[in-house]
Amino acid sequence: MRRTNWLAALLIAPLLLLILGSFLVPVGLTLFRAVQDREVAQALPETSAILAAWDGQGLPPEAAFAAVARELGAALEARRIGDVAQRMNFARTGMRSTLLRTARAAERLRAPYAASLVALDARWGQAETWLLLRSAGGPVTSLYLLRAMDFTQTPDGGVVQAPTDERLYRTLFLRTFGISLLVTAICVLLAYPVAYTIARLRAPWSSIALTLVLIPFWSSVLVRTTAWFVLLQREGPVNGALLGMGLLEAPAQVIGTRIAVVLALVHVLLPFAILPMHSVMTRLDATYLRAAASLGANGMQRFLRVWLPLSLPGVLAGGAMVFLLAVGMYTAPALVGGDRDQMVAWFIANFLNRDVNWGMAAALSAYLLAMTGAIVALARILTGGMVGARG
Amino acid sequence: MREHPLARILLRGATALVLLFLLAPMVAVVVLSFSPTELMVLPPGGFSLRWYEDFLTAGRWVLATRNSFVVAIATTLLATLLGTMAAIGLQLGRFRGKAVLVTLLTLPMVTPYIVTAAAMFFAYAIIGLTGSLLGLVLAHTVVAVPFVVVAVLATLQTFDANLLRAAASLGAPPMLALLRVMVPNIWPGIAAGAVFAFATSLDEFVITLFMAGPGQFTLPRQMYASVRESLTPTILAAATLLFLCSLLFLLASEVLRLRAARKLRA
Amino acid sequence: MSEILVSFRDVTKSYDGRVPVVAALNLDVHRGEFLTLLGPSGSGKTTTLMMLAGFEDPSSGSIALEGTRIDTVPPHRRGIGVVFQNYALFPHMTVAQNLAFPLSIRRLPKAEIAARIARALEMVRLPAFGDRKPSQLSGGQQQRVALARALIFEPKLVLLDEPLGALDKQLREELQAEIRHIHARLGVTMVYVTHDQAEALTLSDRIAIFHEGRIQQIDTPEAVYERPANPFVAGFIGESNRLTVQVVDTTRLRLEDGSLLATLPHALPPGTAALVSIRPERVVIGAQGPGNAVVEEVVYLGDHCRLRLAHAGRADFIAKLPRQDAMAVPTPGTRITIGIPADAVTVFPAG
Repeated sequence: MRRTNWLAALLIAPLLLLILGSFLVPVGLTLFRAVQDREVAQALPETSAILAAWDGQGLPPEAAFAAVARELGAALEARRIGDVAQRMNFARTGMRSTLLRTARAAERLRAPYAASLVALDARWGQAETWLLLRSAGGPVTSLYLLRAMDFTQTPDGGVVQAPTDERLYRTLFLRTFGISLLVTAICVLLAYPVAYTIARLRAPWSSIALTLVLIPFWSSVLVRTTAWFVLLQREGPVNGALLGMGLLEAPAQVIGTRIAVVLALVHVLLPFAILPMHSVMTRLDATYLRAAASLGANGMQRFLRVWLPLSLPGVLAGGAMVFLLAVGMYTAPALVGGDRDQMVAWFIANFLNRDVNWGMAAALSAYLLAMTGAIVALARILTGGMVGARG
Repeated sequence: MREHPLARILLRGATALVLLFLLAPMVAVVVLSFSPTELMVLPPGGFSLRWYEDFLTAGRWVLATRNSFVVAIATTLLATLLGTMAAIGLQLGRFRGKAVLVTLLTLPMVTPYIVTAAAMFFAYAIIGLTGSLLGLVLAHTVVAVPFVVVAVLATLQTFDANLLRAAASLGAPPMLALLRVMVPNIWPGIAAGAVFAFATSLDEFVITLFMAGPGQFTLPRQMYASVRESLTPTILAAATLLFLCSLLFLLASEVLRLRAARKLRA
Repeated sequence: MSEILVSFRDVTKSYDGRVPVVAALNLDVHRGEFLTLLGPSGSGKTTTLMMLAGFEDPSSGSIALEGTRIDTVPPHRRGIGVVFQNYALFPHMTVAQNLAFPLSIRRLPKAEIAARIARALEMVRLPAFGDRKPSQLSGGQQQRVALARALIFEPKLVLLDEPLGALDKQLREELQAEIRHIHARLGVTMVYVTHDQAEALTLSDRIAIFHEGRIQQIDTPEAVYERPANPFVAGFIGESNRLTVQVVDTTRLRLEDGSLLATLPHALPPGTAALVSIRPERVVIGAQGPGNAVVEEVVYLGDHCRLRLAHAGRADFIAKLPRQDAMAVPTPGTRITIGIPADAVTVFPAG
């Protein structure tokens, strides 16, 4: 059967290569980027080398001052200064201006550099500045992973809470978790009776009802979120109808609120809860209920002691699927939510596109990935491998 | 076993309400897309095709549609080919760690799109594939291909492995046996996977947002940009057309499902 | 019947590298013969067939076809026809397309293919069924098409893996007759796997009896039935009463209850323990009255009655009473006299 295995390997190889090259390795690189620290070492190699040998007491030797002045000037020439400034400013706000000012003044600075640098910017006279530069020497840092949990590192390496005005990520993860949990709960509660009713309907009606669930399942998330955006506007149909019925006195601002986010997420994810439950329930044999009845169980007992435990795998699968999709959701909150309703995905997107802070984007991705991995693992354990098969 | 009549009425009422909740927004979008004015109110107070006309004549919408379909078609071809081959290989092979391999190949399905997007953004930036349609097709293929693998693997469960042995005993080399005996018997699964891949690519938004170049708008990306800019019923015309596509996908997948079921019974 | 077509030499097959499914198998298949591999499930008979077809690789040893080693040749180049238990007709092709498949692969001209299909359908008595899909045929018809498909490219050797296992008894007997006719007419070598001993006895020139990966006996149907090589064969083919005895001398044995049993001369040393096998239909039922057996149970089976007797210290001694006997069927509880002819007793050394 060696021949067959060769053929099998040949058939699997192209896809495996694509997934490896385009997914597994990139995801691995992303996780690595969350701890990678190379901007300073690349742009200021000599400074990094001198600082690495420095004992960290008081101020570094004159050679370090001379090296930093020369290398910052060179980094400006080589257009590398932006990366360094960004990296250092993330470690300590205000470092950007210090570094840029020094880089621009590098040509005019004269020995002794220890004096002329401090004269240019008082920060060069503080030991903390040098300790920060030293700790940014790479090759790895826990800065991003710590910051993504609202911790920061002191120049001497201790871990402390981030400054109050920079703390937001624990709240962000809690919010993401909370919204996802709420959406999952609503979806499961709404989906169960629907799945039950459809599973128990007679021939043409069950297919018709199932089709009505499949229509939103097959249509695009963006189309459905856009629909809610239109419906919920101040001048939109929902406000119009409520005003017309006299239920509202003035149009309500729903777009940009948590309610809109939850509404859109429930709408987008509800089919993912209904379908697994329905598929489990249609496979449940009605003879179980008949058997329970013949053994004397009344309607409520039949439901609670036979139907519910048997349909639980579908509930778990559906719930896990909804939660999994919710925690990583970008589109719906981005479109109908306000700044305070955004979830982890939105912050990752911003760090990638707007702030170009790839370290933070990678760190948040790593945590999000860990979260979803935990959900999948938990659901697989609970349902015996049903989750993740389709979605 | 019947429920209590009152319970039945409550259950059916709740189901009807939930189905209404699921469908009403789509119906509203379709109705509003025929609105004669810019106002989006119900009832629209008239019927007009002006927003469809706008959609079909506005350069950026036409370009976005073209991009979307080019990428979706290329993605479908690539994902279907690679996914089907891999699924067949997984079914044929007798080696350890097959379950791990299936998990690896279908991992993009359970990974948040934003993480996949970030990862590909970093990686494609290194090799300079960001901002190219080729990069976009590869990225879409990665997230679409698990559906093909899963669909084909599912169909293969019902394929009788003795048919391949029979073909070999009759003189057919392995590749010929796969093409002439296996593929004709599992095509509903392959086609279902292809439909899923096409729909996934056409709907995909998050990865496109990062991978596509500045000028490379797809329909979802153009919709998102337009909603943020200024909301006009043209967006609703686009949404209605995309919705129509998804109805076609649903129809196709149901037809294929019935065909597969019939094949199984035969 | 002496020219050897296939020979297995020291063939061993193991899936886990420890427990052999087939152990040190040596087997010759003669040209033109109908050989049946018979045995309980898990005895290695199907694995042997699959190795010959090329669907399994031997772990060690060699298999030769017409003197050429074939165990490294892929199945599609062996030119051996195979008929499967579940027919394995290609469901997406018509009957004619199924039959054309091996011929089109061999690039035969169209006219030749059409002629051969017509002849093959004639042979299996389905001349009008060429345009049907397999799903439109009954199980028996499907198996006839499968047989025609395995024969149409004129292989030297055809393997049949429990081909009639899925059919009901009547259809099975009808197809057995058909397979026998085809074998006689075409003279093609057939190797047939079954766990049904009646089928094996009906069809075969020779039967190889498999047990625990080894051939226990290979001989003509008559020989394996009348002269089983060991207690397993005696127990597996047909029904038999098995008793432990003490050897008294070359023609006498002592039963557990002390009574004596006469046999044809044998070579076991006196005083040793032995095992005897007695076919129920060879037991002679004598007159009622004081005797050496008590009727415990009577089962009416149409053409014969099956009696369970208490005899020689056992309560499960079986005898068959043919219906043409004028004697009335004894009722349970009656005492009767039974006789066992010396040539009906097969003696094996104990253990």
